[in-house]
Amino acid sequence: MKWADIKEKLRWCAYLASEAYNMPYRSTVARARREQDDLFMLLIFSEMMGIPNPATYYTLELQPIMLERFHDWHTRMGMEHSPLDGFRCC
Amino acid sequence: MHRLFDRRIIFVGGKGGVGKTTIAGALALMAADGGRTTLLVSTDPAHSLGDVFDMPIGNEETPLGPNLSGLEIDPEAEAERHIATVKMSMKSLVAPKMYGAIDRQIELARHSPGTMEAALLERMADLMVDARSRFDLLIFDTAPSGHTIRLLSLPELMAAWIDGMMSYRDRSRRLGEVLKVFSRDQSKEDGFGMIGGSQDEPDDSRDGRIKEILMTRRRKFHRARELLTDASTTAFLLVLNAERLPILESKKTLDLLSKFNVPVAGMIVNRLLPPDAGGDFLRERRLQEDEYREEIDQTFAGLRRIYLHLLPHDVHGVETLREIGEAMAEQLGGAFGAAKAP
Repeated sequence: MKWADIKEKLRWCAYLASEAYNMPYRSTVARARREQDDLFMLLIFSEMMGIPNPATYYTLELQPIMLERFHDWHTRMGMEHSPLDGFRCC
Repeated sequence: MHRLFDRRIIFVGGKGGVGKTTIAGALALMAADGGRTTLLVSTDPAHSLGDVFDMPIGNEETPLGPNLSGLEIDPEAEAERHIATVKMSMKSLVAPKMYGAIDRQIELARHSPGTMEAALLERMADLMVDARSRFDLLIFDTAPSGHTIRLLSLPELMAAWIDGMMSYRDRSRRLGEVLKVFSRDQSKEDGFGMIGGSQDEPDDSRDGRIKEILMTRRRKFHRARELLTDASTTAFLLVLNAERLPILESKKTLDLLSKFNVPVAGMIVNRLLPPDAGGDFLRERRLQEDEYREEIDQTFAGLRRIYLHLLPHDVHGVETLREIGEAMAEQLGGAFGAAKAP
């Protein structure tokens, strides 16, 4: 076995160890972040779902930006298909 | 009143039918005759500014005379413009087969409650901020009290709402940064499935755009709010009649205005019966009116008051407005503080 191979193996082990350590933290943080984003999405699209929103006029201009994420969002929220009648993304 | 015209923005408000448009028109004419470039803006969805000046005024600034321009805000046209902009930017992001769906969806927003209000407020805020460079004085002839109060309180509510939105974004961004620390080593090596990590690049530019939009909004609202509550810039004039309901409503309006820190400059008691009008009927009405006038004097003792008589003819055209303006100027000639009854 070459020295380089051993180094490669060791690096691999170090990587796995750090992954094993980081993974739970990372997924917790990622989940927390996704929850923030989902709340934000809900605020922007709330009027469409029948939740009155005093700021619809202003959230409207944020909708184009969030559009790409709309499908991910509604599936994650437990809705298999788009909850909006006029708006079918899937 | 000269002190009044040193202000840059004047709101004329009051219950429906008390003569707001007439007073606003007379004030605007007075200011314009005095050499101040003046823009008279009607925010009432049922516009009557054009009728008082006897010429068509629309959603564009229309010259009404020397130094004087008029504008009747059309909230529907404003909302239309806003919605068209959003549609355009949405369509640049999705496949053409989705255009129909987007049109339908956005159309719903047009009819959602509050859209017209927001569109109106938007235009008013733009005028308050931008028209200052073009006009010495901006006079708003507002819609009946309740509507206007709501409008004046919107900047505060909306600013708070946007602050909330921004705090969600900030928290999300901070969490994203933490996430990057955890995934830093990995991203240099190979792409093992990261949770959320693979979306980091587009997220940054999206965050930037969201933040920019929210910031622009917030800046506008804060500026409008600042101007609205600055007593050296803005004055609210309350118009009422010597009758029961306008008095009651004026009380409520004043409470709300002070709650939102909008400076009130004075009160115009309009349409009083002339002292020389004869007949038993009118005598009786005048007795009742005297009671209400007394009530007004007591209730609003802390405010400057101007009293105007009912005219024998309709308010129609510039001449009548000048007449009314002169009657106001007369009472304002001396110390404005002590209200004199005519």
